[in-house]
Amino acid sequence: MTQGDIVTNQEQSLLLQQKRKRNVRKKIDVWLLLLPTLLIFIFFFLLPLVFLFVTSFKTFDANSGIGSEWTIQNYVKFLSDSFYLSVLWRTVKIALLTTLITIIISYPVAYQISKAKGRMKNYLTLIVLSPLLISMVIRSYGWVIILSNKGVINNTLMDLGIINQPLTLLYTEFSVILGMIHVLFPYMVLTIMGSLERIDPSVIRASQNLGASTLRTFFSVMLPLTLPGIFAGSVMVFSLSVSSFVTPAILGGPQVKVMSYLTYEQTAVMLNWPYGSAIGFLLIFLAIITIVIYSRILAYSEKGVAIQ
Amino acid sequence: MRKRLPKLTLNTFCIIVYIFLLAPIVVVLLSSLTKTEYIAFPPKGLTLRWYTELINHPEFMQSLILSIVVALGTAIISTIIGTLASLAVVRNQFKGKEAIVQLIGSPLLIPSVVFGVALLQFYSWIGLAASPLALIIGHIILTVPFVLRLVVANLVDFDRSIERAAMNLGASSWKVFFHITLPIIKSGVIAGCIFAFITSFDDLTVALFIVSTDVVTLPVRIYTYMQYQYDPIITSISSIMILFTIILMIVIERVLGVGKVFASKN
Repeated sequence: MTQGDIVTNQEQSLLLQQKRKRNVRKKIDVWLLLLPTLLIFIFFFLLPLVFLFVTSFKTFDANSGIGSEWTIQNYVKFLSDSFYLSVLWRTVKIALLTTLITIIISYPVAYQISKAKGRMKNYLTLIVLSPLLISMVIRSYGWVIILSNKGVINNTLMDLGIINQPLTLLYTEFSVILGMIHVLFPYMVLTIMGSLERIDPSVIRASQNLGASTLRTFFSVMLPLTLPGIFAGSVMVFSLSVSSFVTPAILGGPQVKVMSYLTYEQTAVMLNWPYGSAIGFLLIFLAIITIVIYSRILAYSEKGVAIQ
Repeated sequence: MRKRLPKLTLNTFCIIVYIFLLAPIVVVLLSSLTKTEYIAFPPKGLTLRWYTELINHPEFMQSLILSIVVALGTAIISTIIGTLASLAVVRNQFKGKEAIVQLIGSPLLIPSVVFGVALLQFYSWIGLAASPLALIIGHIILTVPFVLRLVVANLVDFDRSIERAAMNLGASSWKVFFHITLPIIKSGVIAGCIFAFITSFDDLTVALFIVSTDVVTLPVRIYTYMQYQYDPIITSISSIMILFTIILMIVIERVLGVGKVFASKN
């Protein structure tokens, strides 16, 4: 062993020490950067949800409030009562219909915008996005003005002599679905637009050159290629619709109760926190199940594409 | 002819959809100008009376100011802490990173009405009364996921050699951050800030559970007012909110371009 080697060894260990110090320093930096967000999320998001979960297993008495005993009665009550199950079914039904109609009306619009050019494209996109940007309360309120008994539609129809009695449009499943389509439309258009723009135009031209009609080209070439986009948009619209509160509260209210409204009513109006919490957790469950099914099917369909 | 007909059908269909999209907004704006005591569309006569009438309803103006204060607070805090968290997440590998990213993103999966209920119970347990701060904390949870997404999108293709060059030239880490990093990720940070502002300003679901009789945000005020009354006051205050949003939109368009902001959101 020469002297030079010893020096390098010493230098190496010194370097290593410095590196270790730097790593520790870096680790502290990372946690310092994360600390504010992490603290707020643990204390004001995670902890409240844990508390909520605990509350959903507590008893409740209208006179004495939340009891100290543990029970699964809140969940049993919901799942064994046909009224509550009908609310669950209505929530799913409204979300399904909203999703289906949204697909049908957004596809042509997405197609038109993806074909538009330059400034026109910007304006059209802006119109599509406008419902997203105007306050939820206000746009739902706009629908109230349009749909109410003395609203635009009923007044016009009565003036024209088509009807004598105003139609009941507001506070029906129809008005909730209409408002929901209006709110969620942009999400569907944007995702379908994304997949339309990824189609290679030469594929379309090839299909036309081979003699396929416009309809044939649409159903055999374009539609299959945009299915992943439609699918992604559908899941987004479905899960947002299942958990949305403002639109069904204003356009449906107590007459057309959905899960989110039931949660609100039980907690803020009836003050039955344990039952409200249980309904809330069933709602979370519904929203998460949608996303899990989605990612399963997505993984499966990606495998299918890979095989092809 | 054979080619034109489908195109005409398509365009007509799209125009009907655009009318459908704009209808509620136009109806609110126009019916705020009616001379009648009740909401009428099309408006009967034109007047600005319902805007001046707002002076007799100071509670709307108080709520508007509260909403702006809360939205500003939310936007500033969630942009700062969200940007810091993005830096930590994008640039480092550490234990539990996946879990932390999942945690910060999960308010997007939880229905906000459930989060509202949870927060209501939690606040009442720890004895935190309705206040701008209580509202801001609730809104931060809703908006940080957006800030994180937008800033992370900007940080991912960030060329770090520029930062290293500055460091080697003797700049302190603060100087590097404010003179190099921040200007480059600026558009993501501003977009996140504006998103946070709009989300907080519009929120009814969470605020509904937190408000008290004297601390009421504008969306909650409008929601409760219209359950009892049906007069054009509501349309005039709504119109002010719409105009406010339109101005904000023009600012976004000028600063960033709409397409860019929304492209990174989805």
